[in-house]
Amino acid sequence: MSHWGMQRAALRERLAAGQRHAKGKIVPIPALPAFLKAVIRSGDRVCLEGDNQKQADILASALAALDPREVHDLHMVQSGVVLSAHLDVFDKGIARRLDFSYSGPQSARIARMLFGRKIELGAVHTYLELFARYFIDLTPHVALIAAVSADKDGNLYTGPNTEDTPTVVEATSYKNGLVVAQVTEIVAKLPRVDIPGDLVHFVVEAGKPFYVEPLFTRDPAAITETQILTAMLAIKGIYAPYGVRRLNHGIGFNTAAIELLLPTYGERLGLKGKVCTHFALNPHPTLIPAIESGWVEQIHCFGSEVGMEDYVAARSDIFFTGPDGSLRSNRAFCQTAGLYACDMFIGATLQIDLEGHSSTVTTNRIAGFGGAPNMGSDPRGRRHPSEPWLKAGAEAAPDANAALRRGRKLVVQIGETFGDNNVPLFVEQLDALALARELNLDLAPVMVYADDVTHIVTEEGIANLLLCRNTDEREQAIRGVAGYTDIGRARDPKMVERLRERGVIRRPEDLGIDPLDADRRLLAARSIKDLMLTSGGLYRPPSRFRNW
Amino acid sequence: MTTAQSNAASLSWYEASARQRVEALLDRGSFCEFIGPEQREASPHLSIFDLPEQFDDGIVIGRGRLEGSSVLIAAQEGRFMGGAFGEVHGAKLTGLLRAARMLKEDVLVLFDTGGVRLQEANAGELAIAEIMRAVIEARRAGIKVVGLIGGRAGCYGGGSLIAGTCSRLIISEQGRISVSGPEVIETNKGVEEFDSRDRALVWRTMGGKHRYLIGGADTFVDDEALAFRQAAINTLEMNGRYDLPLLTAEQQRLERRLTRFSPAADAIDVWQTLGIEAPTEIPGLPTKEFMRRAADKRENADDAR
Repeated sequence: MSHWGMQRAALRERLAAGQRHAKGKIVPIPALPAFLKAVIRSGDRVCLEGDNQKQADILASALAALDPREVHDLHMVQSGVVLSAHLDVFDKGIARRLDFSYSGPQSARIARMLFGRKIELGAVHTYLELFARYFIDLTPHVALIAAVSADKDGNLYTGPNTEDTPTVVEATSYKNGLVVAQVTEIVAKLPRVDIPGDLVHFVVEAGKPFYVEPLFTRDPAAITETQILTAMLAIKGIYAPYGVRRLNHGIGFNTAAIELLLPTYGERLGLKGKVCTHFALNPHPTLIPAIESGWVEQIHCFGSEVGMEDYVAARSDIFFTGPDGSLRSNRAFCQTAGLYACDMFIGATLQIDLEGHSSTVTTNRIAGFGGAPNMGSDPRGRRHPSEPWLKAGAEAAPDANAALRRGRKLVVQIGETFGDNNVPLFVEQLDALALARELNLDLAPVMVYADDVTHIVTEEGIANLLLCRNTDEREQAIRGVAGYTDIGRARDPKMVERLRERGVIRRPEDLGIDPLDADRRLLAARSIKDLMLTSGGLYRPPSRFRNW
Repeated sequence: MTTAQSNAASLSWYEASARQRVEALLDRGSFCEFIGPEQREASPHLSIFDLPEQFDDGIVIGRGRLEGSSVLIAAQEGRFMGGAFGEVHGAKLTGLLRAARMLKEDVLVLFDTGGVRLQEANAGELAIAEIMRAVIEARRAGIKVVGLIGGRAGCYGGGSLIAGTCSRLIISEQGRISVSGPEVIETNKGVEEFDSRDRALVWRTMGGKHRYLIGGADTFVDDEALAFRQAAINTLEMNGRYDLPLLTAEQQRLERRLTRFSPAADAIDVWQTLGIEAPTEIPGLPTKEFMRRAADKRENADDAR
């Protein structure tokens, strides 16, 4: 290469073009359209900060309002596709290619647009995987990020929802990319500095907070008795025997039920201090009773949760907080923590096939992946031992030399045999396969691969797949907990009975659990208000969850 | 650190089933059911729609004792079709109210209903009219008909009309009374008029605290079966007068209320007009403090009862 420093020169050009619309680092809102047009070039890789929770919503609308004749063929690289503006940029022809992780609220529209060839799909990533690619081959030219406040030098305070921001800024700014932040307000002195100002080139004062989705709030009032039964099975049949102390809980009512049973059912089983002491977890409101009754020692968070700010700040013995007192979350670090330092992942899914692959993709929805595929995978790079990890490893390969045997992470899928609208959880073939065929994808979007899953819990019992010795056993173990679904009814009853004798399948009665004991009165909190009261009024639930 | 409590000891009215409520409300072991599920008087209409039936059609009726006195009781099961009124469901309540008049016994109605069952709407609407007539006739005969509201389905549609004819209403914070439900208002008038997903808005507009403050309910209790029981005992001790001067007084009160609160755009404005101290704090207040602030300020229908 004859000319070095070309990237830096390109950045200087962008900075100069942007400066014409800014005063110092501050871009006034009315100048935002002209500013974005000046700093973004057709064909750029753009990270428009859409995280699991917080959204750079003002910047997203401004980007979607650009003229596609002037700016086009953008390659969007962002973990969350959450706002309609995130897809409007494709509808209008401003962007063409997309690499992402999660698309929860836009799952139906993104599916329609993929089928309509409006979006050229790179891949659906896990979070860590997309973050990793930011540093290798998907480094953004421009990052449009969100923070709570900035000072005039561009130092940023992200508040409790730091989430992806440090990762995005690190990859962009240190590789000659341009970083633009939207903030609620510009202040003289920040509560704390989350992102140093010399990495941030421009700041837009939005005058209102960025949009945050309360993704992790589950109303205890909506927990069913079947979900309570699955929670009792998980606690007595998995948490207790393996002694799971370090773990991650997925989002869902089954895991919310587990959290609410710890101070009641778990206490009765004498498990306090023996399980669930360390979490990689968002601040789930349903964990408040367990925290208040002294079950939990430490929690590191991917992001925050709406309404939990004051509670978290008042519980700095448990959570990671900054010198200003508020939560410091970090998705990349927490995902790494969940992958390497947790012994168990437990979460729900929409479909499980006969091998044990699971997916949340259905034919008309592409929700992408949340944290589950990282949390719910066995890390081959792990070397430190722990009791649950070694025990699971021993169950999988009892005859191997113990000193050379890998342990196994416990990866538990929990759910009712029939889910929402009586849709069966168990299927002959995942919808993800049909989708992959139709869109010509090399890979079907599988959330948790069969060889990572160790247990499946339903109201009918627990299937321990670690103890299965061949594919036949595995299939029958899955059928054996599939209840009255077509998959469950097609079981080989004799083989299922043999698996039960070996402890591969365990029914509630095998564990000494009476399904009639699965009563809502067992929940440590039965409403959002109970959670608020247990928190001593520190938890301030958003309006939509209140019934008072 | 405090120890989180198991809720095993208390029975939440909001959470309880119709049968659990009846059992917790009456003297232990005193309940005797009329037309129980063993008689399988289920809806004749639901099977046409391929919908599941319930052997008691979602309402439990019978007789029992409350602090030793004999009372008639009806409890709707909000978890079966939202406690909605169908033909059999309605007929059971009508019959109970007519019996009350003959037996000279007071009636407790444990509302938990979304209103009329759409699959048998004509029969349901007729039932509402018959029940209201039966309530009025019973009251004219000196019988007290007391409504208890605090179930998950609230007290909506025709149920709220019946509640309006009752001698007295006992409500918890979770209880809701309104003719049109949140979704109905939103569907007809738009989300700008009423956002049905904004639950705080729903509760401050239709919930127990608001109804108590504007005299839409007479007694405010905690969400506990024992609190409902004690309130029912106290209420039945009051007199059951029902005559023209009383109705005239009630009519005047409602007209006054309409004028007084009509400029209000939100329940908080209503509470402000009432002169409640720090009205925005009302939804978050525990019962004792709420009652303190409500005392002397709330509207009530006592003149009319």
